[in-house]
Amino acid sequence: MAQVKLSAVRKAYGAVIAVHGVDLVIDDGELVVFLGPSGCGKSTTLRMIAGLETITSGTLHIGDRDVTALEPKDRNIAMVFQNYALYPHKTIRENLAFGLRMHKMDRAEIEKRVGEASSVLGLNELLDRKPRQLSGGQMQRVALGRALVREPEVFLLDEPLSNLDAKLRVKMREEIARLQKQVGTSMVYVTHDQVEAMTLADRIVIMKDGHVQQVGAPLEVYDRPANLFVAGFIGSPEMNLVEGRVVQGRFEAGEFSIDLPKGMTAEENSAISLGIRPEHIEIDDTASDIAFTADIIEQLGAQTLCAGTAQGVRLRVMTTRRDDVHRGSGFSLRFPANRLHFFNTETGNRISTEH
Amino acid sequence: MSSKATFTLFLIIGLLVTLALIAAPVVYAISLSFYTMDSFVADPEWIGLANYARILSTGAFWNALGNGLVYSISTIVLQVVLGIGMALVLNQAFPGRNLVRGLSILPYLLPTVVIVLTFKWMVDGSIGILTKAIAALGLPPIHWFESPQAAMASSVMVSVWLWTPFVTTAFLAGLQTVPTSLYEAAKVDGTNAIQRFYHITLPMLKPVLTVVVLLRAVWTFNKFDVIWLLTGGGPVGSTEHLAILSYTTAFTKFDIGGGATIATLSFLFLAISVFIYFRIFPLDEEES
Ligand SMILES: Nc1ncnc2c1ncn2[C@@H]1O[C@H](COP(=O)(O)OP(=O)(O)OP(=O)(O)O)[C@@H](O)[C@H]1O
Ligand SMILES: [Mg+2]
Repeated sequence: MAQVKLSAVRKAYGAVIAVHGVDLVIDDGELVVFLGPSGCGKSTTLRMIAGLETITSGTLHIGDRDVTALEPKDRNIAMVFQNYALYPHKTIRENLAFGLRMHKMDRAEIEKRVGEASSVLGLNELLDRKPRQLSGGQMQRVALGRALVREPEVFLLDEPLSNLDAKLRVKMREEIARLQKQVGTSMVYVTHDQVEAMTLADRIVIMKDGHVQQVGAPLEVYDRPANLFVAGFIGSPEMNLVEGRVVQGRFEAGEFSIDLPKGMTAEENSAISLGIRPEHIEIDDTASDIAFTADIIEQLGAQTLCAGTAQGVRLRVMTTRRDDVHRGSGFSLRFPANRLHFFNTETGNRISTEH
Repeated sequence: MSSKATFTLFLIIGLLVTLALIAAPVVYAISLSFYTMDSFVADPEWIGLANYARILSTGAFWNALGNGLVYSISTIVLQVVLGIGMALVLNQAFPGRNLVRGLSILPYLLPTVVIVLTFKWMVDGSIGILTKAIAALGLPPIHWFESPQAAMASSVMVSVWLWTPFVTTAFLAGLQTVPTSLYEAAKVDGTNAIQRFYHITLPMLKPVLTVVVLLRAVWTFNKFDVIWLLTGGGPVGSTEHLAILSYTTAFTKFDIGGGATIATLSFLFLAISVFIYFRIFPLDEEES
């Protein structure tokens, strides 16, 4: 078990820069999720930690060892691959034991660890089978088991659940979270699924185009997105983002206008964007603050999602279930001041509001 | 015409062609081994298994069988080792890889005669490049076609030269089917390059290896042209294998029955070997 420290870690493939200097400390026992859209450099960063890609510049420490230039086998890490990468011609038992055998561990210890891991993961019945005789979920468990028996300093997982169906994914997600807490080993988990990230992570690292956008606990990232990208990326349904200007202490976008929170410092006439999550907009049938006309209604069961227009601005509003809304329904909306986010439209950065 | 009738028609045509071109000659050749016949126009005379008794008691038959085994086994071993080696090299990324891949297949595309003649020039006593190279190294000259060992070595060398590209190509194709993530998983599991070769590459290539060895074994054991053109089976029968013995028996000694008997025995030997081979290395591994 150990801390993992990335200092200005960078990866260039010729002229293409896949990862721009990443600085990050993953604490001992912490579960950190790399989240971002396809091609943002999550896998590349993970593979640099694993030693499967060379680090173009910067340094990487695991514990107090500088492992920047070490081979994967000397880094004391274990990895779970998206396509499982089980050895097809070896039995499950051999798959689990292989890494230990290669590290010249004695037989009794290997047997003990394989036995423990297979009990924890429910693989006892499968030990003498070959990988192709297993289902996807079982193969995924074996892949986890192979990492587990190694008792490494860090677990590295690259989209481990993306080949599973939705139900199994939820189940395995819980299993991974449970195992990680149980063994207490640091874990880096790559995904592009924000629900996975929110539910698993101690901290989320959000990446875009090879740059880290924000690092923070799931709720921190949800409550205080550092920029427009994070605001739009985290949360489902997506946050409403409205481009506008500061006019006499108010935010204005065409006909739409709303008071800026007290204590917010924004230059007159500067371009700013307002953000508010659909689930934070309140429907208030009495007050007539902002008139909203719904034109698309999505019934999600527990909630109702309405898309429509308020004072010329497209908005999505989510409420607890309402059966009485339909196309053309009109409401008054209320935007609670402490749920508003403001961003500098040019830089995309969050404008701090003290509330 | 209905599709079923079309199908049946084509099936019948196919069967007839097969019968006429493959089954009939084989049956005819085998049947000849039960007759004695001293020319192709003479009337055959039925003698039962007498040809078999006679041929099996000659030293020439056993010598040819032995030569065939030595020739085939050494050729195959060398081809497989070199083929895997070259496939591994050609599977790496390096500038000009496609050109090298293309060039490496060249010997396979040339007619056997060209390869054999080229080799003969290379070892020519006065102008051969190999002869000169050996002399330049200060080694004693090799009499390629005069000593039995050198003649066998030449036959093996030329066959390896000719057929390694086929083996390389087959292995190269096999290598492309190995997922990179397996190698990465093995790297993380703590292996070095040699261990990865034994634990990943070789087992993943096993199906290709099984087929390649089988095909090469059958073809090499029956291979006639290389040895015939190179040594004619000499010196004094030291490179004569069953195909050549069968040919010379039938066509230079006009012992047609004897030649057919040798061919039939060779065929039986191969059939049994292939059967045993498939028992040991099943193509489709059944698992309980
Ligand atoms: N070998 C390579 N040569 C050149 N560019 C590469 C190479 N590998 C990756 N890249 C580029 O680096 C960037 C980051 O790739 P990476 O695989 O890390 O993305 P990712 O965030 O894991 O995406 P995904 O969610 O699709 O897996 C991409 O733009 C990709 O095109
Ligand atoms: Mg990826």
